[in-house]
Amino acid sequence: ACGGETSSEDAASADGEKITLRAATGLSPQHAWWEGGMEPWMDRVTELTDGQVEFETFTSGELVAVPDEAEAVENGTVDVALILPIYQPDQFPMAEVTMLPLSHSDTMIASNAWKALLESDVELQDGKTFSELQFDQFKVFPISTTQEYSISTTGKEFASAGDVKGTSLRTPSRIHEMYSKQTGLNSITMPAVEMYDAMSRGAFDGSFYSIADWTGYGFQDLFKYTVTGINFGHFNAFIGMDEAKFDSLPENVQEAMEQATDEYFEDSAQIWMDRSEEVIAMNEEQGGQFVDFATLPQDVQDHFNEGIENTWGDYAKLLEDNGLPGTELVKLWRDLMIEQGGEVPQKVKEM
Amino acid sequence: MNGMTTFYKLYGYFGVLKKIGLVISAVVALIMMFFITYDVVMRNVFSSSIRGGFEIIQNYMMPLVVFPGLAYVYASGVLPKMELLFAKFSPAVKRILILFLIAIEVFILVLVVQFSWTYAMDGMERNTSFPAAGTLYQLWPVFFTIPAAFALIVIENIFLFIKNLIEKDPTFVVEYNPSEEEQIINQAVK
Amino acid sequence: MDSYLVVGIIIFMMIMFLLMGMYIHSVLLASGIIGLILLEGFSILPGLLGNEPFNRVASYTLTTIPLFVLMAQFILHSGLVQDIFYIVHKISRGRRSLLGTLTLIIGGMLGAVSGSGTATAASLGQVAVPELRKHGYSGPLAGAIASAGGSLSGIIPPSIILILYGVATETPVGALFIGAFIPGVLVMVTFIIAMLFYYRRETKRSPAAAEAQAEIAAAAEAEAAEEKVPVTRLAVSVIMGFLIVATIFGGIYSGIFTPTEAGAIGSVVGLLTALLLGKVNLNFFKASLTETIKLTGMVMLIMIGAQIFGRFVSLSLLPRKLISLLEPVMDSPALVLLLISAILFVMFMFIEGAAVILMTIPVFLPIITALQVDVLWFGVFISVICTIGLITPPVGLSVYAVSGVTGISSGSIFKVGMGFAVFSMIVVCGLMIAFPELATWLPSVSGGKG
Ligand code: NA
Ligand code: NA
Repeated sequence: ACGGETSSEDAASADGEKITLRAATGLSPQHAWWEGGMEPWMDRVTELTDGQVEFETFTSGELVAVPDEAEAVENGTVDVALILPIYQPDQFPMAEVTMLPLSHSDTMIASNAWKALLESDVELQDGKTFSELQFDQFKVFPISTTQEYSISTTGKEFASAGDVKGTSLRTPSRIHEMYSKQTGLNSITMPAVEMYDAMSRGAFDGSFYSIADWTGYGFQDLFKYTVTGINFGHFNAFIGMDEAKFDSLPENVQEAMEQATDEYFEDSAQIWMDRSEEVIAMNEEQGGQFVDFATLPQDVQDHFNEGIENTWGDYAKLLEDNGLPGTELVKLWRDLMIEQGGEVPQKVKEM
Repeated sequence: MNGMTTFYKLYGYFGVLKKIGLVISAVVALIMMFFITYDVVMRNVFSSSIRGGFEIIQNYMMPLVVFPGLAYVYASGVLPKMELLFAKFSPAVKRILILFLIAIEVFILVLVVQFSWTYAMDGMERNTSFPAAGTLYQLWPVFFTIPAAFALIVIENIFLFIKNLIEKDPTFVVEYNPSEEEQIINQAVK
Repeated sequence: MDSYLVVGIIIFMMIMFLLMGMYIHSVLLASGIIGLILLEGFSILPGLLGNEPFNRVASYTLTTIPLFVLMAQFILHSGLVQDIFYIVHKISRGRRSLLGTLTLIIGGMLGAVSGSGTATAASLGQVAVPELRKHGYSGPLAGAIASAGGSLSGIIPPSIILILYGVATETPVGALFIGAFIPGVLVMVTFIIAMLFYYRRETKRSPAAAEAQAEIAAAAEAEAAEEKVPVTRLAVSVIMGFLIVATIFGGIYSGIFTPTEAGAIGSVVGLLTALLLGKVNLNFFKASLTETIKLTGMVMLIMIGAQIFGRFVSLSLLPRKLISLLEPVMDSPALVLLLISAILFVMFMFIEGAAVILMTIPVFLPIITALQVDVLWFGVFISVICTIGLITPPVGLSVYAVSGVTGISSGSIFKVGMGFAVFSMIVVCGLMIAFPELATWLPSVSGGKG
């Protein structure tokens, strides 16, 4: 803030003055959310403002690590960041809703439902919407969710419901913990960076993960058995900016940001679908097997479906116990999902 | 001489505080060793690991291994520096340098104490917690070990500053004769 | 303030602080904090200074630091390593240069069970340095041997640096581990050659001193010969030593536990060894744990300082400014790689390895991809440079660890360590640029799996 280049703090003044925004993610620059989401968004904002807005970018935790992006935006370390609220259920307990298991959906369906949830004007509690309850301090620019999470193992197959019980999987969120408890899976917690090593040596059987994200840890070489056609939720993210910071920007810049979000939203979902196809091809080449859920023995299907139904109730109850509108939230999410073409088990429909 | 006795007496009390910190760190290190080993055994024998084990180790145990004992570590003189040039200075220059370095050190440490304290208070306000095995565990109490550890190091530096002001030989550690220490503690106990 | 000016001021300040004899962690903290203030004003501090100490320390992977040190402490206080060095000493009888060679090889083997160069260096410093000195090695050379041997953990898998690189670039960690094996052994071999060179020079250059040392050594040998260690005890030591290595290797490679967990398992086995050799009592715990906490605190304080300093470097955009200067020579990949290695070498001299990796990958990776250089190869390549950076001044964690435990001044170790580093850097990096297969061949034949 002392002369030289225009820095971010005194930038937002007069129209036409150059604005440099500091943008960050803890993810790698190759991550689909950055490469396919935030980067094109920033480029488009620069383009739409004829170069008035420029971004100084920091990736791979160079400045801010996962999951500290939200905090960094709030305390002004960075101006705009890719925020992953599911990693902080203490601060954003309702953000996990997109991790609820489903009968069917894909990246596009879930992304549209996530965008709709963020923009929803349905009042969940005290006259407040989802975004007002969770992300009031942020200006939220929606971005795609991940591809659906699948169960993949390094070889263990599910020939009967008995095979499911006792299978040890790494669980990435509280909802997967609940689901594991419901279905008798053993949950292993372990840092993502250690998973490859541990699984390749048989320390546990597999993980919940989204196929398009495998390459980040080399899992395309490792997983041998993946169940598709059943869906363990979608991880979500958004591009977040401090609300006050956003309000201080010139109107044309604000408009450019909104416009860029609308223009790039679908592409940001498509990249997950494309990547998933590539990764499936790579994995099949290495001898990986993709099994459709519908072809599994009926008792296995029933077992998994029962788990799905109960998990929705468990999550709603968890939120209610903490004074949050859990039931309202899961119903809203269910409706938005179905509206976008997703499917949930019958019991969830009747909730 | 009476002033110095008081000085060492106070420093003796302060030393007890640092030792308590060291013991906490040491015990947690041992617990961490057994905890991880137990987890490995459970996983291999009963194929079930301690639920939330890794998050608990990372968020509770690691900070408790590092921060409580930090003031003891600092005072022990184990921390590295480039001594090559320093050793060649005359005692008078050494003394000025040490006083200058302590001043900078205190300035930096006070900033760390201030901002890590703000961070801890903020965490308490937000009830910062971490998820492990489907449960939320409170994290913010651990945050307070950081300003506490660095505040103790500031105090250590103040002792060191006073010692360098009063005594002739410039030094980086508040050393004292162990027998003398015992003497002082004995006096203190009386 | 203009960021070039700030960078200039801070570099000058760092050098001054270092020369004045300020603690390394304080140099990093002070330069980082003052740099941040000059660059951004006080408003940037709460967000970085408040949370970084916790974030840096609260890491599961870093449990390797206290636990591998604890393992080393337990083993050390059990007397096992002394016994093994007693045997090594018997083997190298009359050929004192062999002891240095064996120390480096033991360093390499310890590297295969440890992910942290600093912890290994600290334990080697405690065990090997006194032995080396007894056998006529000067303090600085003995310190450099222990530091270099310890730093090998950075490249011989498992390695924290390789894990960080794998995560940051989305390269399979298992493939990186396999790819690092041959270059890791090469680094060890170049260290041995450098060590032999220094040893010869030391004994030649000051024959009088060498003679005096040889006399001391002879006396020590005679003394050692007299205080014979009972054969049964040696047998127990050898069996337990073998068992420790077998447990850790076997455990990691059979999937019973991860490389990180090996720290805890190793400590427990070390404790059992000490129990068997009858060394466990209150003092045993007091000594082992105090040393462990000291070394852990030391490393973590420096890592916190490096983290804050790294934030300053990131915000000053220094790395990318350096890189943008490279653009005109992009048509000659070898030249770019040479320049990159030189830049990294300098950065690793000043900044803690993991911080450098995290800082430069966003900048280097696009260039590497543009040059069509193999990402796995590059990861192994920079890990080699990083490993070597552990023994270069002014920030060389391995050397500081050894200096911390032995009391030999870090400056004098650096003088020798720098020789090891430059030699190894030229030979191994040169070979890797000339023959990229050194890193890529093994992963390709094993199908890229771990
Ligand atoms: Na290693
Ligand atoms: Na270095």
